[in-house]
Amino acid sequence: MRLRRTTRRRLVRGALYAAFVAALIVVVLAADWQRFAQYFLQWDIAREQFPEIITIALKNTLVFTVVSFVGGLLVGTLMALMKLSSIRPYRWFATAYIELFRGLPALLTIFAFAYMLPIAFGVKLPFAPVGAGLLGLIVVAGAYMAEVIRAGIQAVPKGQTEASRSLGMSPLKTTFFVILPQGLRIIIPPLTNEFVLLLKDTSLLFIAGSTIFTKELTTFARDATTTNSNGTVLVMAAMLYLLVTIPLTRVVAYLERRMARAR
Amino acid sequence: MNRRTTRTPWPGRLASIVALAATTALLAACGGSGGEDETDGEAAGLELVTEGTLTVCSDIPYPPFEVEDASAESGYSGFDMDIMQEIADRLELTLSVQDVSFDALQSGAVLGAGQCDLGASAMTITPERAENLDFSDPYYDSLQSLLVPAASGVTSLATFTGALGVQQGTTGQAFAEENAPDGVQLVEFPSDGELWPALQGDTIQGILQDLPVNVEHVRTDSSYVVVEEFQTDESYGFAFAKGERPNLLAAVNEHLQAMRDDGTYETIYDRYFSTEG
Repeated sequence: MRLRRTTRRRLVRGALYAAFVAALIVVVLAADWQRFAQYFLQWDIAREQFPEIITIALKNTLVFTVVSFVGGLLVGTLMALMKLSSIRPYRWFATAYIELFRGLPALLTIFAFAYMLPIAFGVKLPFAPVGAGLLGLIVVAGAYMAEVIRAGIQAVPKGQTEASRSLGMSPLKTTFFVILPQGLRIIIPPLTNEFVLLLKDTSLLFIAGSTIFTKELTTFARDATTTNSNGTVLVMAAMLYLLVTIPLTRVVAYLERRMARAR
Repeated sequence: MNRRTTRTPWPGRLASIVALAATTALLAACGGSGGEDETDGEAAGLELVTEGTLTVCSDIPYPPFEVEDASAESGYSGFDMDIMQEIADRLELTLSVQDVSFDALQSGAVLGAGQCDLGASAMTITPERAENLDFSDPYYDSLQSLLVPAASGVTSLATFTGALGVQQGTTGQAFAEENAPDGVQLVEFPSDGELWPALQGDTIQGILQDLPVNVEHVRTDSSYVVVEEFQTDESYGFAFAKGERPNLLAAVNEHLQAMRDDGTYETIYDRYFSTEG
């Protein structure tokens, strides 16, 4: 029997959908939800976490993320400008900085700021140990952002510099009022990415030590897991992370579309 | 025409899709309940994860309870591990040790998932934990202790000032929360591997931790002293998935008692704790 090509295509597609749905049903039916719930979804344990999981854990995660993002943006901008500088030692320093801190795992960098620095130099950072941990995060974020910002600056057409210079603006003014604003707009997607990465990296701050009031989401969840001998709070923390990151990326995608239209 | 003939005719493709779905279903079914039932009733009803093997999960290292040791039969030694080895020997099983995170162990996830038969990880028996895990009879009474720099002049918890380091989620933390004098700031760390450098770097001024662990620090660096020990009436137990290994639990308890009766327990105990002051 010969079928028409369109009919055949429709049948194949239908079969593929059916296979997908069947696989999904099989997975859902095969799982032992009662056992899963026993280990990861206990409502009375979940209920006990409020309001602290929001007022302390989620709040700290967000505060730490914003602080390290802003700090990283400042460090990153400085490093990007240094790397593009015509003065050689500046370029060398920026290159060394970026290679070093982009090459090291964030966890080790945080560990270094929290423990090696105080032991080696006797320096005590303000708000230790959280302050030390945050400094580590800022330094790492700065290294990643420096490269992103540099790419953004280089993506601004050269004519922009020439135009503002010929209007009589100083090189400094040109950089800060003409080039940087345009460059930053270009790199909004990778910066959002960096923000999301940082949000998750705050979970590494546990290595620096924490108090009841400085716990972020992951530390909070791990503590609760230990006390209750149950993984419910880990699941709650995972959902809270998604609750922040998914809307955030959606909003940025929307803003991007609007800006693309406005241009 | 040419192109059409080289392609698999659609009934063939449909057949392969159906086969794929069937295989998936079969695999899922096996992974679900079928596989578990097969191991039931074997190995004298102990329901072991791997037949003939006692699979133990532990968060390693935590000296002197669990450390890597190439010379040991299982590759690990320490108080917990030696006791486990002895119990495995008595049950005529091979001991296999898996290093897992303490979180995964405490949440019951590794035990519930059937990764291990039991957890042996210097775990204190608490009512909260006992709600979600089964515990063996206590096998070690844990004392808490305060470690400070010898030069600090601190003589007890009552005279302690500054920041006090504790390990996240431990009974030491709970004890410190209840008993530390006002004005002492508690700082928690994920493990002893961070507590120790934090004390050396003077980020914290003392560690409240299980006694054997603090004693270990004094042994390596005599500029620190244990100034106070605390009887907390708490003990370590071996952990089992809730309600799932009654036979193994009974067997472990039985052999623990036998080991106490014939002096084996004391021999192992002295191997790790006899020299402590």
